[in-house]
Amino acid sequence: MVMSVRDWAVRFSEASDRDQTIGAMAKYFTCTYMWDMGTAKVIVEMVDGKVYRINVDPAPMDAYDFALRASPQTWREFARPIPAPMFHGIWSASFRRDLKIEGNTLALMQNLRNFTVQFELLRKVGVPV
Amino acid sequence: MAKHSPVVGRYVTIDVDGYEYKVFYLRNGTGVPLVCQHTAGCHNHQWRGLLEDLEITANYDVIAYDLARHGKSDPPTNREWWKEEYLLTAEHFMNFITTFCDALELDRPIFMGSSFGGNVALQLALHHPDKFRAVIPVEAAEHAPGFFLDLWRHPHANAAQVCASGVWDLMAPQSPEMDRWQTWHYYTQGAEVFKGDLHFYSVDHDMRGQLGNIDTRRCPVIMMTGTYDYLTPPDATENTARQIPGGIYIEMEDIGHFPMSENYPLFAVYLKEALHIIENKTASSAPA
Repeated sequence: MVMSVRDWAVRFSEASDRDQTIGAMAKYFTCTYMWDMGTAKVIVEMVDGKVYRINVDPAPMDAYDFALRASPQTWREFARPIPAPMFHGIWSASFRRDLKIEGNTLALMQNLRNFTVQFELLRKVGVPV
Repeated sequence: MAKHSPVVGRYVTIDVDGYEYKVFYLRNGTGVPLVCQHTAGCHNHQWRGLLEDLEITANYDVIAYDLARHGKSDPPTNREWWKEEYLLTAEHFMNFITTFCDALELDRPIFMGSSFGGNVALQLALHHPDKFRAVIPVEAAEHAPGFFLDLWRHPHANAAQVCASGVWDLMAPQSPEMDRWQTWHYYTQGAEVFKGDLHFYSVDHDMRGQLGNIDTRRCPVIMMTGTYDYLTPPDATENTARQIPGGIYIEMEDIGHFPMSENYPLFAVYLKEALHIIENKTASSAPA
């Protein structure tokens, strides 16, 4: 059974906020991004390394810096404990699968270390699709 | 008692196309020279596992250098290099390697490189087949477009972290966490040259239509790629090897684009297979 997006947001926030690798360099981890999973969309707002807010029902005009968009199947692959080849990161999936990275990619690059660690938390938290 | 490694480091000064380079290299072992090129934007510590591999160094003289501008090899000492953009070319890369091997008076070494080092291995097999006993292109392909990006050294981002985390998922998730973070750490140290290296990797290196001219009787080619490599995925390497008459392809399961650095024990299994193939091929083709 697929977890609700609200439950996912709680679990993801907790996992991120207590992650030691993020915590070690969290001071300036500030950006807002969308994860578009097809049947679920979230906007995660990071402020100084902590999850400030997760918008689980984004409206059309809600703002974010950059977005990751892929099919629900791809997001489910991201969330496997050991993802299959080409589903094991945002670069591999954007080069070889259906992941699209859109928006201000410079903001992504400015936060890439911590964002990458955070993205891999999906392997522990799962996805709401 | 101090725990010294048998690996030793030295510098050698060489002239390449009018550029004077003081090149740092690490060395250990006895036997057939095995010259190792690190990946783009990195340095020779990627070969730390191989350099201390007792079984291989018993039969091979393992030499891992830092390409100029990487690690402990400085930029050219006779040029105002800071006034020109660094854009590596195939010709200069090959000239660097052959000049370095000549300076060390190596007798037809085996050349092994990964990623852009793998791509230059293919170039060496085509253009300098008599200088090398064999080449082992690791994570290589005839053409590897798409990675020559401005974001690698954008002044508004932390280039060290962009380069290091930008290559993070070139590694397999199964590779040991310590080794992946060590590789990440190496990649924080080469951010200023990464894009210039990738000029060779993604732009100047294009061997499409030329692979049929590689003579593997003079220089055997053993290609190896990990299943988690998204830049030159297994099918790209296999397709490249297939176009080389006599070319051999070995697929490496559950490893990525930095196999020698991210999971040496697993890489060593495949490397020993490659070296065994080369032993057989060069033994049978040796003059009577």
